[in-house]
Amino acid sequence: MATDFWASSQYKRWIVDRATLKRARTEDLRYVDDPDLLDLLNIFLANVIAKLGKRLSLRQRVIATATVFFRRFYLKNSYCETDPFMVIAACCYVAAKAEESPVHIKNVVTEARLLFGGEDYGGIKSFPSDNSKLAEMEFYLVDDLDCDLIVYHPYRTLLTLCGKENSSSVVEAEAGELGAGIQDGPRYWGTGEGKLELQETALQTAWLIINDTYRSDLCLLHPPHMIAIAAIYLTLVFHAPTCASIRNQSHGSSSNQSQPQSQSQPQPQPQSSQSTPGNPRRSSRSSSSQPKKPSQDVIGFMAGLNVNMEVIASIAQEIISLYTMWDRYNEDGHDGSARTAFSTHASSRAGTKRSSGGTPRSGSVASGGTATSRSGTPDSNAPAVVTPQYLTQLLVRMREAKLADLAHPDSGRPMAYDKRLGRTQNA
Amino acid sequence: MNISSAHADPMRIYRAKRDSAKPRVTKNYNILGFISSGTYGRVYKAQSREPDARIHAIKKFKPDKEGDVTTYTGISQSAIREIALNREISHENVVALKEVILEDKSIYMVFDYAEHDFLQLIHHHSQTLRTSISFPVLKSLTFQLLNGLLYLHSCHIIHRDLKPANILITADGVVKIGDLGLARLTYSPLQALYTGDKVVVTIWYRAPELLLGAKHYNKAIDIWAVGCVVAELASLRPIFKGEEAKLDSKKNVPFQKDQMLKIFEILGTPDERDWPGVKDMPEYPNMKRLDPYTNRLRDWCSNRMKSQLGYEFLKQTFVYDPDKRLTAHAALKHKWFQEDPIPTQNAFESLQAHQHPPPRRITYDDAPSMMPLPTQAQATQNVAQAQATQVHALSMSHSMSAKSMSGRGSAGSVGTGVGTGGAIGNGTAGGGRARKKARVG
Ligand SMILES: Nc1ncnc2c1ncn2[C@@H]1O[C@H](COP(=O)(O)OP(=O)(O)OP(=O)(O)O)[C@@H](O)[C@H]1O
Ligand SMILES: [Mg+2]
Repeated sequence: MATDFWASSQYKRWIVDRATLKRARTEDLRYVDDPDLLDLLNIFLANVIAKLGKRLSLRQRVIATATVFFRRFYLKNSYCETDPFMVIAACCYVAAKAEESPVHIKNVVTEARLLFGGEDYGGIKSFPSDNSKLAEMEFYLVDDLDCDLIVYHPYRTLLTLCGKENSSSVVEAEAGELGAGIQDGPRYWGTGEGKLELQETALQTAWLIINDTYRSDLCLLHPPHMIAIAAIYLTLVFHAPTCASIRNQSHGSSSNQSQPQSQSQPQPQPQSSQSTPGNPRRSSRSSSSQPKKPSQDVIGFMAGLNVNMEVIASIAQEIISLYTMWDRYNEDGHDGSARTAFSTHASSRAGTKRSSGGTPRSGSVASGGTATSRSGTPDSNAPAVVTPQYLTQLLVRMREAKLADLAHPDSGRPMAYDKRLGRTQNA
Repeated sequence: MNISSAHADPMRIYRAKRDSAKPRVTKNYNILGFISSGTYGRVYKAQSREPDARIHAIKKFKPDKEGDVTTYTGISQSAIREIALNREISHENVVALKEVILEDKSIYMVFDYAEHDFLQLIHHHSQTLRTSISFPVLKSLTFQLLNGLLYLHSCHIIHRDLKPANILITADGVVKIGDLGLARLTYSPLQALYTGDKVVVTIWYRAPELLLGAKHYNKAIDIWAVGCVVAELASLRPIFKGEEAKLDSKKNVPFQKDQMLKIFEILGTPDERDWPGVKDMPEYPNMKRLDPYTNRLRDWCSNRMKSQLGYEFLKQTFVYDPDKRLTAHAALKHKWFQEDPIPTQNAFESLQAHQHPPPRRITYDDAPSMMPLPTQAQATQNVAQAQATQVHALSMSHSMSAKSMSGRGSAGSVGTGVGTGGAIGNGTAGGGRARKKARVG
């Protein structure tokens, strides 16, 4: 399993299609004016996970795992019926254990209270100081996750494909430089074939793009290696120094010889347990016998991966869309995203998209407003740019509206559900 | 209902949904009796209420208690491990997890039932039959054990607690490796397994690199344990039966001198030319102070392992240098398995019915609050029978796997500073009842 993504719980149970995702948000959609707000919540709440994770000194990998847990939980639940902040704390707490770097429950409670009580979140006072509340949430969370706690991430594929698996830079990175998730050895998909030499900064860009993908539902839609390849693809297309070197290279094919490190790169061993007969997606079967491709031959590299490039392109497009959406999200402080590298592309695309829709963006930042009018086109209600405070209050409003609906059966809720709720209230 | 309650308990709707779910354990399973109380929980024999009426072993993790009321205090690291790994794996020679039920503050893991285990078999032979385990059986068990271990290792899982009580056998003679409560994923060959666990593996089965305080270790520790288990199958007693040195007041792991000596008495003092890395071991200076011994494994094997190849097999699993020790893969290819008797898929194939080890005994739960007593007449009868046949003795497997016996219980990983609280339930403290202590922190 740990060598074989195709046998994993993640592949078997947790890669879903768009329709499933959409169904999961049905209930929430009733309580937001603009569907985009749910995407913005995706960004915001993933940032919250990352922040809590950093406070708990969790490695990047652990934060990524916590985020995947969070996304999986909301495949089965609705924002308007839960407290995402409590879920976030539980996700971090479980992920730390699942990734063998446990933190004490008391720490999680303390840090969660400090973080969520801060101004950014409008000073949520409700996070309970009582450990048992978090532990209870953990219990329910693990159940809703169907006890599937081992998660594959794109980082390993990135390092495998870019030939950094054993290089010293990765060893250093393990100490915290690029984030971790690197010590995982041959856990992740990768062909041993046609490795790509990425400059250190390009590798870093690809790494940050992968981090960014957790702000969306991509980790529920695609296998991690596909996301990794899309991140490499985007890096090759947009990372300025990389673009330059690719351009140079197309002028003189001899440039390969001038790069001695391409010969000295350690080769990852073809993984013995990898070949699953009859699985066409695996390209490792050809890896050991075929001659190495020139490592800087980007097109050849992509072709050699033997993955569906249309899917890669569409993932890349979704990442760009994420960046476009992200422009509508305003949070103080550096968030470590790679999207600034894409800002020109992203914003120009955003511009086209929006102007074609006929709703020019205003630059105003809505903070904590209560714009809840329910009529008109989506764009006319939701502010163009939202803040953490706004989204925190949005979550509260969604929950209150949902409760109000439950209290008034006319709204179409079945009675039985109300009674049950009444009972628990009395108990 | 008022709206401000959304502030008071934002999870109310969710909780209401959750609490309305029907209990599933007793609805889906008929509890036949109690099997064993381990470090982390209690194991029950149960029958599915589905038409197939299959028999299962249900491991119930101890719920945490605060005073008299059980509260949520966090799922233990061990339970998380065992659940997470079991959800991913599937192999003929690894015990299969059917489902996990989280209900009423407790976690229940439902496994396929295995009628026997290595410990019970060893005791059956040493106490009841007073004959050694025949080689067709012994080699079949060993081969299947290695086959399961190869699978785990190829999944990058180190078991870290291989010992007779954790290796189960079905009534059909199929070996099932169990108890992944200490297992963990490993990736690079010599990764520092720094987090959480200072000591792993019950001391009698603990590899020399662990005894010498190695910070880095790998799959080879499982192979050492296999060697110990095979030797125990052959001689019906632990080959290296050392006394565990207890943790000092600062919870430092002491040098396990007695265990080390037990190994040296049979395998001799490690030769630094054969194991260059030994000089870098933290406990190397302590080791140097021990008297020198010479290797007498051949003697030990002569009347126990019978064949020369059997001796060579053991010798290679007991190589001091972890990097030169046999791998599961190489072990399966060992010539010993190619000479007669050849391993069989049913380890008991060569036995007559009356030679099979007896079925696992079940008893009343001595902590009935954990799970309701069996109510069904048939189950009660079962238990009554079990009681009758063992009036004053605890069930053998029960008493032997209980942690009260010194040594047996020493498996344990020692929590690190952050790791010892019951709340994160990280592993355990070392010492006699190591895995138990940890939870108290
Ligand atoms: N699938 C099974 N079928 C039958 N009996 C089982 C099964 N699993 C476990 N047992 C019995 O229960 C005992 C304890 O189980 P297990 O080792 O999984 O729990 P544990 O809490 O880790 O115990 P310990 O600390 O004693 O190792 C086993 O030694 C065995 O006797
Ligand atoms: Mg056990």
